[in-house]
Amino acid sequence: MAQLPYAIDAETPLNPAELEVLRAQYEKEGDMVGVQTKFNYAWGLVKSNTRTDQHLGLMLLSEIFRTSPERRRECLYYLALGNYKLASYAQARKYNELLLDIEPHNLQAANLQAMIDDKVAKEGLMGVAIASGVVVAAGLVGGVLFRSLGRKR
Amino acid sequence: MASDDSLPTLKILLIGPSGAGKSALLTRYCDDEFDPESSTATIGIDFKIKKLAVRGKAYRLTLFDTAGQERFRTLSTSFYRGAHGVLLVYDISSRASFLTMERWFDEAEANTVEGIALYLVGAKLDKAESSREVSPEEGQALADAHGARFCEASAKTRVNVRRPFVDIVDQIVQTLGLLSGAGRTPGTVAVSGGGGGGYLSSCPC
Repeated sequence: MAQLPYAIDAETPLNPAELEVLRAQYEKEGDMVGVQTKFNYAWGLVKSNTRTDQHLGLMLLSEIFRTSPERRRECLYYLALGNYKLASYAQARKYNELLLDIEPHNLQAANLQAMIDDKVAKEGLMGVAIASGVVVAAGLVGGVLFRSLGRKR
Repeated sequence: MASDDSLPTLKILLIGPSGAGKSALLTRYCDDEFDPESSTATIGIDFKIKKLAVRGKAYRLTLFDTAGQERFRTLSTSFYRGAHGVLLVYDISSRASFLTMERWFDEAEANTVEGIALYLVGAKLDKAESSREVSPEEGQALADAHGARFCEASAKTRVNVRRPFVDIVDQIVQTLGLLSGAGRTPGTVAVSGGGGGGYLSSCPC
């Protein structure tokens, strides 16, 4: 079980024609758009590899979350997935934890949590590496300055 | 894991009504886990990878666990693209779940190439004594009518958990025409003629 789980739904974009069908249906229904149509389009957008699509998808999901309580569990899951794709890990974790609060035994949410944690740990290490690099550089500069000051005295 | 990537990859979908036990079967098969508490409905689609050797040859199975709930159907049909086999799962202790299977066969047949491996699984065999509502003969007859294979299984007791996966892979690799798509980039297998258009047939537009 060393292998990380997959977020297959996030990682497999629809082809443009498929997304276009979902968009056309969404636009056809206009102001009276049904929640299923809206959700389908939001899902297609979140799966997209384009950031503007992903952002629009998250916006639609937030709207569905507010207006349709019966859709909250899937909205939370895809809000978490979408933010994960956008590398907004704090947001992703927030939504995923809300889902885990409702469904502590949800394996998909547990898997997503592991993936978020893994990314954060990797980026955290990167951050530490950058920060310690800065400290080392500052130490070198400081050391040189200190020495040259010492010599002047 | 890098060496696994070179194995021939077979794509298999699990479909069937909500609560039939698709995720439980898959979790038992892939991770040998069974959690009676974990009865949350799958959201959209879930996915697992498993290595399996059949007739002395290893394969990499990519297993797509689709949500049974109606609200996700138009979404998960997009995952049929490039599939080599479909496991159709119902609950032997629920006649209602069995009665929906014609519709699931229709969906599978509408979204895949002809001759694709279909396999009917009657899940929750552990309930046979206490609350069976569908006989094995009925299951077998339905499978026969669609040219599918059939077995009953229990994720809870492990009975027959491996069998549908082993048998469907065996069936797939014997059908050489389907295998020609394996190992290539996923999604290159032409399904239902119109490329990506396949899943739209079930779109309630």
